[in-house]
Amino acid sequence: MTAIDISTGETRQRGAWRPSLSGILLVAQLELRQRIRSTRWKWALAVFVALVGAVTLLLESTVGGEMFYGGPGDVVFGVLVFFVLFLGLLVSPTLSATSINGDNKDGTLAPLQVTALSAIEIVLGKLLAAWAASLAFLALSIPFMVWGFVGSGAPVGAVIVTVLVLAVELLVVCAIGLGWSAIASRTAASAVLSYVSVATLSVLTLVFFGLSFVLVSEPTTVRYYDQQYYYDETGQAYDSWTGERVDDPTADGCTFREETWDQPHTERTWWLLAANPFVIVADAAPSNDVVSDSRYESPQTMLGSIKYAVRSARLGPETVVNYCYGYDSYEEPELLPEELERRERLAGLSAVWPWGLAFHGLLAAGAIVLAVRRLEVPHGRLSPGTRVA
Amino acid sequence: MSHMEVDRGLALEARGLRRAFGTVQAVVDASLAVPPGHVTALIGPNGCGKTTLMLMLAGLLRPDGGEVSVAGRDPLAEGAAARVHLGWMPDVLGTWDSLTCEETLTTFGRAYGLAREPARARAFDLLRTVHLSEYASQPARVLSRGQKQRLSLARALVHDPEVLILDEPASGLDPRSRIELRELVRALAADGKAILISSHVLSELDEMVDSAVFMSKGATLGADADAVVEKARRRWLITALPGTDVRAVLGDLGRPWEPVGDAPERAAVHVVDEADAAALLAVLVGAEVPLIAFGPAGSALEQAYLTMEEDRR
Repeated sequence: MTAIDISTGETRQRGAWRPSLSGILLVAQLELRQRIRSTRWKWALAVFVALVGAVTLLLESTVGGEMFYGGPGDVVFGVLVFFVLFLGLLVSPTLSATSINGDNKDGTLAPLQVTALSAIEIVLGKLLAAWAASLAFLALSIPFMVWGFVGSGAPVGAVIVTVLVLAVELLVVCAIGLGWSAIASRTAASAVLSYVSVATLSVLTLVFFGLSFVLVSEPTTVRYYDQQYYYDETGQAYDSWTGERVDDPTADGCTFREETWDQPHTERTWWLLAANPFVIVADAAPSNDVVSDSRYESPQTMLGSIKYAVRSARLGPETVVNYCYGYDSYEEPELLPEELERRERLAGLSAVWPWGLAFHGLLAAGAIVLAVRRLEVPHGRLSPGTRVA
Repeated sequence: MSHMEVDRGLALEARGLRRAFGTVQAVVDASLAVPPGHVTALIGPNGCGKTTLMLMLAGLLRPDGGEVSVAGRDPLAEGAAARVHLGWMPDVLGTWDSLTCEETLTTFGRAYGLAREPARARAFDLLRTVHLSEYASQPARVLSRGQKQRLSLARALVHDPEVLILDEPASGLDPRSRIELRELVRALAADGKAILISSHVLSELDEMVDSAVFMSKGATLGADADAVVEKARRRWLITALPGTDVRAVLGDLGRPWEPVGDAPERAAVHVVDEADAAALLAVLVGAEVPLIAFGPAGSALEQAYLTMEEDRR
């Protein structure tokens, strides 16, 4: 047996939290080799491409020619981005959610822990490998998104930002899966918990937002503006407020009336929407929606509409509703001061996605910290059902 | 070996280790010491805490109390700096099924801080040592249990550690591989490594180890256990042709004996030393007892183990 020099080992004297790039890359390489060779990776990628391709074709043939949105390809682009995000959220946890407890079960974790590798190198290596694998799915879907984009008339930045945000979201989901795989001793449990987490972020945030309307609704006075009268096809005038026939309309014009209703104060719950990955992607993607001076023109693109809706939710209920537009002409009415003010506040709002991404970043960082703590040796407390080796 | 120059006295030492899992006290009080070049057996029944003790020595499990020293370092406080001096072969066979044997060992070499090429060279070197060279580019999943066991042993040696902890290295090995394991362990000890080895195949250990640490109900048994082993070493078996009453002959000679089963033609005696055994043999032959076997009663470790098991009942 030849003597070998382990002086390099001596210099690697460090704790569980000291990362080195070489250590992280070593673990990532190991993970990719082990997991990709052992799974039907090529088939998964092929099925993924087939699915995205099929959805693209279907969208193209059904709504591709529709002109009433931002452009003929806008819906194709918007739905495609969401579909890729949806599939990405499903695929990403599969690699990371069984990464740590699966290795523990197979007995391959402890031999790695006794080496000079630190806990954080093992965790970040696993994260990197899982992320790289999900990025392969994202990379394969880019041609389809570009295809959708070309017909959509969206700014070039939309594709770039969308892909970047999608990549970050996949990283977050990989990290959450890894965290669960460190906490749960059984792979089935961590897989379920990862999917529950993904479902919580992407579906339950919307459900909670909707259900919370009851909790945040308060009597709020709304001022309705309307014409004093409206006329039927015979020219008969009716009072707009009472609906009664008025035989002798005198003072025509815009009047208002105040009513007090229970209105949901979404300015207290909008952050639920900000935590939604789909909202983050929609909010981050630049759109060339022009919000004109018209009170009634909201954004026309799919992603832009979501952005507009979420930002409106941040302002809470509208306290002024203006029906005072001419029935006989389609001229734009002048905006009321309250409406102008709300519009300015809307334009002045900061973007929602940085909040959402920051929150997701915290979740991911928390998951990583937890995973490192779990892999730190020597193990102190062991959770029930786990064994060291 | 360059890094063996420092004489640290004991390469592996544990004092008063204990560890509980919840309410189960797995290790109550374990102490042992292995000097360089020495092979020590860790022997005890299933569930006596051997593996838990080995995990604590390997720096994977934090003891509730007690001290560990690996090559003069504390794996609890110094972490990786102590771990790089230690090779650990777990009782659980964990292999990355999709990696080839060479990749597995190279990866581990690099995990211990070796550069890529030295790690590869070391991997091929070790595959030769454990007779797996022809599997170098085969994925580990094609290996049999015994071959995986050998790969696991090679993995523990990849960084040429001064201290080796081998948990059940012989399980699943064929007779040929067991002999090779024994020779390899002795060669490593001759190289100055301190080796702690646990096994259930006690007769194997007999020829491999310099000393033994017995463990029972989470505690290592100290000097009294050594006395039991020494006593077991002096137990000899006498077998004559059927129909002979060896017990009566021994009784006539005034020699204390123990029955072996119900057969009167067999008996066990305690000898002072080999000269005493030779003298007894001469007397028996002189008395024309038709002897067919006369020799030490199998594995001394096994004898000691069984004696201690009986004591506990």
